[in-house]
Amino acid sequence: MDILANLALGFSIAFSPFNLMMAFLGVILGTLIGALPGVGPVSGVALLLPLTFGMPPTSGIIMLAALYAGSMYGGTITSVLINTPGESASVVTCIDGYQMALRGRAGPALGIAAIGSFVAGTIGVVLLMGMSPLLARWALSFGPPETFALMLLGLTTVTGLTGENALKGYISMVLGLMFSMVGFDLISGDARYTGGINEMLDGIDFLPVAVGLFGLGEVLAGAEQTVRQEILNARYGLRDVLPSVADWVRSRWAIARGTVLGFVIGVLPGAGPTIATFLAYSLEKKVSPNRAEFGHGAIEGVAAPESANNAASAGAMVPMLTLGIPGSATTAVMMGGLMMWGIRPGPLLFEKNPDFVWGLIASLYIANVMLVILNIGFIPIFVRALRIPYSILMALIVVFCITGAYSQNNKLWDVGQMLVFGVIGYGMRKLDYSPAAMTLALVLGPLAERALRQALIISDAGVLILFQRPISAVLTTLALAAVAVPVVRGLLRLRGHPRSLV
Amino acid sequence: MRRADRVGAVILLLFGVWFAAVALRDYTYWGATGPGPGFFPFWLGLAMAALAALLLVRAVRETDPGPAWAPRGRGLARFLSVLGGVVVFVVLMPWLGMALTTVLFLIGILRLLEGHAWTTAVSVAVATAVANWAIFTWWLRVPFPTGVLGF
Repeated sequence: MDILANLALGFSIAFSPFNLMMAFLGVILGTLIGALPGVGPVSGVALLLPLTFGMPPTSGIIMLAALYAGSMYGGTITSVLINTPGESASVVTCIDGYQMALRGRAGPALGIAAIGSFVAGTIGVVLLMGMSPLLARWALSFGPPETFALMLLGLTTVTGLTGENALKGYISMVLGLMFSMVGFDLISGDARYTGGINEMLDGIDFLPVAVGLFGLGEVLAGAEQTVRQEILNARYGLRDVLPSVADWVRSRWAIARGTVLGFVIGVLPGAGPTIATFLAYSLEKKVSPNRAEFGHGAIEGVAAPESANNAASAGAMVPMLTLGIPGSATTAVMMGGLMMWGIRPGPLLFEKNPDFVWGLIASLYIANVMLVILNIGFIPIFVRALRIPYSILMALIVVFCITGAYSQNNKLWDVGQMLVFGVIGYGMRKLDYSPAAMTLALVLGPLAERALRQALIISDAGVLILFQRPISAVLTTLALAAVAVPVVRGLLRLRGHPRSLV
Repeated sequence: MRRADRVGAVILLLFGVWFAAVALRDYTYWGATGPGPGFFPFWLGLAMAALAALLLVRAVRETDPGPAWAPRGRGLARFLSVLGGVVVFVVLMPWLGMALTTVLFLIGILRLLEGHAWTTAVSVAVATAVANWAIFTWWLRVPFPTGVLGF
C-alpha cells in the first residue's frame, strides 16, 4: 500500500517533538483566532507567517494548517455564547446555536459542534489524502495552456463568489495582477514598473501586503467602532458539553451530510468554508425531520454547518497542494507563504517534497484530535480569552503587524509597504472591493503570466490554443462562464429595474 | 458610496490606461520568440480600463447616493488616531528601538485613546515588549533597531 507507507513517513515527521509543538501552538492560536471576533483565519495565517521563517517549511505549514483547522472549531464558541460570529464560517451557527444557548443548551451546542468538527475534519483529511495524489498525477500532464486555464478559472471563480459586488471583485483581482507585475520579469530580465526605486526590483513583497491587507486593514476598519459584547452565562464544563444520546442520534446524519457537502464545496475553487456552511444549513433545513424547529434551537442547525466548515477547510487544501490554485482566501495566503519558503505547490509537490506533504497530512489528523479535546474539555479557558477587550487585542495586532513586516528582510521599507497596504485594505473593505481576490491575484500573477507566455510561444493560433486542447478548453470555458454569469445577471437587472441597480 | 465609486472609477480608469501605455512604450510587446515583458501588462491595463469604465457607467447612472461609508466624528477621530499612532511608531522605531517604541505606542493607544487604567496600559505594554523580544529577537534572531538606548 502506497498510501500507508507514505502515511507512516508522515507520522514519523509529525511526531517529532518540534512539529508536535508547532501543531499544538497552531490549534491553540487557531481556536483563539476563530473565537475572537475581528480576527479570522485569513488574518491569523497572515499574522503568523513571519513566525514561520525561522522554521523548516514543514513545521511552518503544520502550524498554519493546524491554525486554519482550529479557527473552524473556535468560531462556534462566539456564535453560541455571544451571537456574534468569531469568523465568517460560523455566521450560520449563530441562528440555532444562540437559540440553544438561550434555552440553556449552550453545552450540547458546543459539544456537538466539536464532535461534528472532529468527524468532518478527520474524514476531510482522509479524502484529502486519497484524492490529492490522484489529482496531482492527473495534473502532471498539464502543459502551459492547461496551467494558464486553470489559474484563470481559479481567479475568476474566487472573484465571482467571494464578494457581493462582482464587478469590484474583478477590479480587485486585476489590480492584484497589476501589482504582481512590479519587479524583474523572470523571462526577459527587464525591471518593470519600479519607478527607478531599487527596493521595487524584487517586486511588491507578499508578506507585508498580506499583513497589511488582512492585519492592519482589519484593525483600521474595526477602529472606528467601540464594541461591547455580552457573553451569555452558561455551563460548559465537561459534563454539560457532552451531548446526550438523543442529541447524537438527531445530529449524526446532519454531520454526515455536512461533511460530504463541505468537502466538495471546499475542493471547488472559489467556494470556501463560509459558503459551505450556508449551503449545509439550508440543505439540512430542507431534509431534516425536525425542520420546524430550525431557528428555534435545532441541534442539527449547529451540527451541519460546523461539520461543513471543517470538511471544507480540509478540502480547500486539495487544489492548493495538487494544482497550485488556492481555493479560498486563507489558502491563498498560505500558498504565498509556501512560495516564500521556496516550495512550489502543484503536481510536482507530491514527488519532490513527500515529507512536506505527508508530514502535513499526518499533522492534520493529530491536530483534529488535539482540537476535539481542547474544544470539549477546555472551553472555559477560551471563554475567558473572549473577555479580553477588543481595544487591547487591536493594539496588540498592530504591534504584531509591524514586527512581522519588519522581520522578513529587516527593512523599514517593508513596514512602509505594510502600512500602505493596510490603508488600501481599509479602503477596499469600506468600499466593497475584495482584498481576498487581490491577494490571490498577487500570488498567481507571475505564474499565470509565465504560463500564458509559454502557451503563446508554442501556439500557432494565438490565444486560441487555449481552446485547442481538451482540458484547457473545458477549463477556459468554465472560467469565461464564471465571468459571464454576474455580467448577464447585471444586464438583466439593468433592463428590469434600472433604479435598483446596485 | 456613489461619489466614491465615481472618483474611484476615474482613478482606476486612468491607472489602467497609464499601465497599458507604459507597457507599450517601455517594454517589448512581442519579441522574436513570442510575447515579451510588455504583453501581459498591456492587456491587464486594458482590462482594468474596461472594468473601471463599466464601474463609472454604473456609478453615473446610479440615482441613489448609497450609504455613507466614510467615518465621521468620533469614528473618524479613532481611525485617524490609530493610523497616526502606527505612522509615529514606524518613524520612531529606528531612533528609540523596537522595545521602547512598542511600550510608548501601547501606552498611548490604551491609555489615551481607549481610556484603560494606567496599570492595565503599562502592564500590557511591558508584557508585549518582552514577549516580542523573546519571540523575534531571542528565538527568531531578527535584528530589530535598538535605538539610542541600546535595546
